[in-house]
Amino acid sequence: MIRVTAMTHRFVGGRAALDGVSFTVAAGESVAVVGPNGAGKTTLFLRLCGVLPGVRGEATVANLDPADREHRRKLAATVGVVFQNPDDQLFSPTVLDDVAFGPLNLGLSDIEARDRATEALNAVGLPDHAARVPHQLSGGEKRRAAIATILSMRPGVLLLDEPSMFLDPRGRRELIYLVRDLPGTKLIATHDLGLVLETCPRVLLLDGGKLVADGPTEQVLGNEMLMETHGLEVPYRLRNG
Amino acid sequence: MSLACQNATVPDSPLARWDARYKLAGLFVLAFGVAVLQRPQTVGCALALVLVLTFLAKISARRVLARVGLLLVAVLPFVVVLPFASDHGLELAALIAGRCVTIGLIGLILAATATLPRTLAAAQSLGVPSVLVLVAQLAWRYVFVLLAEARRLRVALQARAFPVRTNAHTYRTIGHVTGALLVRGGERADRVAAAMRCRGFDGTPRGLTPFRATAFDVFALLLVVGGTIALVAWDRL
Repeated sequence: MIRVTAMTHRFVGGRAALDGVSFTVAAGESVAVVGPNGAGKTTLFLRLCGVLPGVRGEATVANLDPADREHRRKLAATVGVVFQNPDDQLFSPTVLDDVAFGPLNLGLSDIEARDRATEALNAVGLPDHAARVPHQLSGGEKRRAAIATILSMRPGVLLLDEPSMFLDPRGRRELIYLVRDLPGTKLIATHDLGLVLETCPRVLLLDGGKLVADGPTEQVLGNEMLMETHGLEVPYRLRNG
Repeated sequence: MSLACQNATVPDSPLARWDARYKLAGLFVLAFGVAVLQRPQTVGCALALVLVLTFLAKISARRVLARVGLLLVAVLPFVVVLPFASDHGLELAALIAGRCVTIGLIGLILAATATLPRTLAAAQSLGVPSVLVLVAQLAWRYVFVLLAEARRLRVALQARAFPVRTNAHTYRTIGHVTGALLVRGGERADRVAAAMRCRGFDGTPRGLTPFRATAFDVFALLLVVGGTIALVAWDRL
């Protein structure tokens, strides 16, 4: 489903945000991307969804190359990205407008877009929030609405960037249940290792733009030396058996 | 936060139920008609009509008076100077003040009986360029986010005992804060643009169509346009 081959990305000034990263993710798999700040997690996501330009052949998502202009047009229907800050994602006057934005851009009719938006809002537990103004939602509601904006497009691949950021414990717990139930292939970039343990059986560990570990979640996150070397901590649950 | 346009819902009233497209068109025609009136009597009549509309719109008397007060302050220089400037100065001052208050109240009716996004959607369906509408919608959406950021920065300044004085240090600090807000706004704009592109946005704004006109909407439009034509005709007699 996702194939990344020696992906490299340099920012202006020459700093490498990604340096020869390679991995594959099978259809339906849930994979976490962890690493310290500046590891390249968000850059990887922006490359996979085609927002950042790249070199052809370094990545394919559902057989589409994000670096290819023609493929990029079709990518929106295949890859859904939930950004770090939901305020960046919820830009329409009402929640319904926001959730219907994607389907309308895919060429769906008004009625179809409205149906999909309603279905997506139901799926994230916000059936009564269609007419609400996004900036008046709570942090947890914003996050759910942001996920609904993607679900309404029915993408095969979901990229979730720091989904539990800004959430209180209850909002985080609800998000974990929601993420577990989301359909499709999921790639989740996060510092929240508790969320990783509950939602992803596999982990990619990035540091300094390089992929330093790729394996089963408990094995990678439970490796104290590996975690500490790369600025992370073994989650409490794994430390105590 | 107390921006008038922040309200997501408006109180139910006949004017709130009026289709936003017909209301926008009708009130625009009425405002234009008031702007071309040349006699205080007809302007007074228009003001009375608009006051009836504010009553029908269920706008509180306090809000109407506050708006009228603001408008009168705005035209105060003309009202004070014109009576001494010519023989018909008093009449002219009354005319200007009357037109200003009437058109201002029409704006109040528009703002108080539909949310801004709905009015913008109506403007778009009436042919206002969709890019302008999109920019206005985004500005409306993010002004609150920017205000919240500005408040956080102000608290950060207060937390470090920043003294507001009329000196170079204060101006420099306020300049830095304004700069930080602009930079953050610019970065946010990039992120919003990325989020829009990721959801298939290709530069053509598309939105749900929230309108469905009824006979009442058409009748109300005809009534307002007819009333405006009658007023202008009476004014010209």
